[in-house]
Amino acid sequence: MGNRKKPRFQLNEKQLGYAMVIPSLILVIVVVLWPVAQSFWNSLFDYRLNDPARSQLMLNSNIDLENYVDNYFYINNQLEDLEGKAEKDEAKSTIASIKEGVNKYHTKLISNEEIKAKVEKVDELLMNFKPVTNPELKYTEVDNDLAADYRKALKSYEEDLTAIAESSSDEEAGQKFQQTADLIGSTSETILESNFIGLANYGKYLKDKRMWNSIWNTTFFTVVSVALELVLGLGIALLINRAFKGRGLVRASVLIPWAIPTAVAAMMWGFLYDGQSGIVGHYLEVLHIIPDASWLLSTSEGGMFSIILADVWKTTPYMALLLLAGLQTIPNSLYEASDVDGANKMQQFWSITLPLLKSSILVALLFRTLDAFRVFDLIYVLTGGGPANATESISIYAYKTLFAQQNFGEGSVLSVIVFLCVAIISFVYVKLIGSELFAGRTK
Amino acid sequence: MNRRAGIGFYVFLVVFVFLVMFPFIWVFLTSIKAPGEIFSSFKWFTSNPSLESYEAALTNRPLLRYMLNSFVVSALTTVLALVFASLTSYALTRLPIKGKGLILGLVLAASMFPQIAIISPMFNLITDLGLRNSYLGLVIPYITISLPLAIWILSTFFQKIPFELEESAKLDGASPFQTFRKIIFPLAAPGVFTTGILVFIAAWNEYLFALTINSDDLWRTVPVGISMYQSQYSIPWGDISAATVIVTIPIVILVLLFQRRIVSGLTSGSVKE
Repeated sequence: MGNRKKPRFQLNEKQLGYAMVIPSLILVIVVVLWPVAQSFWNSLFDYRLNDPARSQLMLNSNIDLENYVDNYFYINNQLEDLEGKAEKDEAKSTIASIKEGVNKYHTKLISNEEIKAKVEKVDELLMNFKPVTNPELKYTEVDNDLAADYRKALKSYEEDLTAIAESSSDEEAGQKFQQTADLIGSTSETILESNFIGLANYGKYLKDKRMWNSIWNTTFFTVVSVALELVLGLGIALLINRAFKGRGLVRASVLIPWAIPTAVAAMMWGFLYDGQSGIVGHYLEVLHIIPDASWLLSTSEGGMFSIILADVWKTTPYMALLLLAGLQTIPNSLYEASDVDGANKMQQFWSITLPLLKSSILVALLFRTLDAFRVFDLIYVLTGGGPANATESISIYAYKTLFAQQNFGEGSVLSVIVFLCVAIISFVYVKLIGSELFAGRTK
Repeated sequence: MNRRAGIGFYVFLVVFVFLVMFPFIWVFLTSIKAPGEIFSSFKWFTSNPSLESYEAALTNRPLLRYMLNSFVVSALTTVLALVFASLTSYALTRLPIKGKGLILGLVLAASMFPQIAIISPMFNLITDLGLRNSYLGLVIPYITISLPLAIWILSTFFQKIPFELEESAKLDGASPFQTFRKIIFPLAAPGVFTTGILVFIAAWNEYLFALTINSDDLWRTVPVGISMYQSQYSIPWGDISAATVIVTIPIVILVLLFQRRIVSGLTSGSVKE
């Protein structure tokens, strides 16, 4: 008894269970749920990476303090300078009222202690010719009304000064006025109004022909290719569901198209379809199935045909394997019994094979439909969505809006649409399959 | 169904296998032609095979570097996914916790989420972390694909291990974690390995994240790298066929070695046994 170890701290089964599940849950929340929620949020903004005034999500108005403080310093000096140069009394009083206005708004702005402190800090940095790198300091939130009024006032000052510049007889003085007008104009640009636009983006896309066209393309591609894959896959599974020599070879040859990257498969098919050197195009032309070899990738129908054929080639084997596994669980005795009853092969297929295969078929269809609806790499590499957007899927359209146009607001609307479509499809299938999807996983 | 296989059946098999393999056969035959012979030539066999296209494929673009990148990213993703997924699947299948259906539903839903709905916030996140053009920059988004897949497949494997083993381990005084580490995990090792292969292939094949996040040529993965062989002005089919052959070889080896496991992993989710 003397050398018995002290019992160490132990988790009981329940605690251990939660401890084992939590890390994965956190990961799923961080890398899947949070980004999807963020996409929803982004879609409510006019959010563009390539436009400095809209490159951030701003629920409230903001001021770009670095540029504002820098400009403000010059505005005062220049206005004073202009007061001396003005020829007419009218111009003089305009300048005086501008000066007064700018000062009034600036005072209002720094009446907020927090903004005042930031302005002083930025001013100090600028005096020492240092850039403002801290984003907290560079941008500051301001009251929406103040921002809108200030921005509007600055715009009207710009117009007033431009008018004086144009009416000025002295060219040199005119230039000076114009310079100040431009400076005030650019200062108004440092006041960034909120880019929250709510559901406006959605309204735009619901009326967008290209969006509906891409939805139609995606649906057509999904329905046709998944249907073909199911019929061909089932046929192949029924045929090879027997003992024969060379099973391993057949299995391997069927797995390879499934295992290679879709982008690589798309490049291969791009070569086979090529209008000049492509052998598939060449043979189909020789057999008079298609008008000429370039039909495949240069016409709308040809483009759709090409991506569907490539997809069917790549995923029919996968479908066949899933269905074959389902077939192998059907007990042989059922067929023997129906043989005794005198049922023919067709009757056996409809009353034994198909009903017992139903759950396998539905699960295979669920995964394939979702994959097909999200199609991106095959189309992106093979046709790029062309010719003339005839093969553009909704994912491709979303990608182009997000990364080619750098428009994260509108692009997020399209990605949310993809997400909603996928959610509806999954919901329908899961209802059809029911609780069997989880069978064999939980106690 | 134990129908016997006749001559007709084998003819069908040969035609079927030929049709499936045809793109590979043709691409391979093209890759050993001299570049001048490829254009508008539909001859099957070249009279003077050459390795010129292979040399071009390896020198015009850093193909071996792409393969290294793909390998490192996929391997890291696989290891991470397996560690987290085996803990979670064990708890989900064999420990008395609440909300199992909810958690599995969440995992299944996560695997159905379209990548395009995740890509822009993920892109911003990776940019803010300064991880663009790095291995970690791809491993993080790949968790979205690999972790749900691994949990989904692994839980069927854990479920198949007899429950009596745990009961006897409990009687012998093993703690719950010891039971997992010393008894159940070793027994599930084949299933973990199978899951690993499938996760590895899924990560190896991913395109959208790799395209947007690692845009520097030195950090591209195989799928993206291959698709960049075509330029705006010309399409070097010789280089492309050779590159395709090179990157397909590892996959062929993987499939030949592990075909039984791959099939059992693929079908584990779809068939009740």
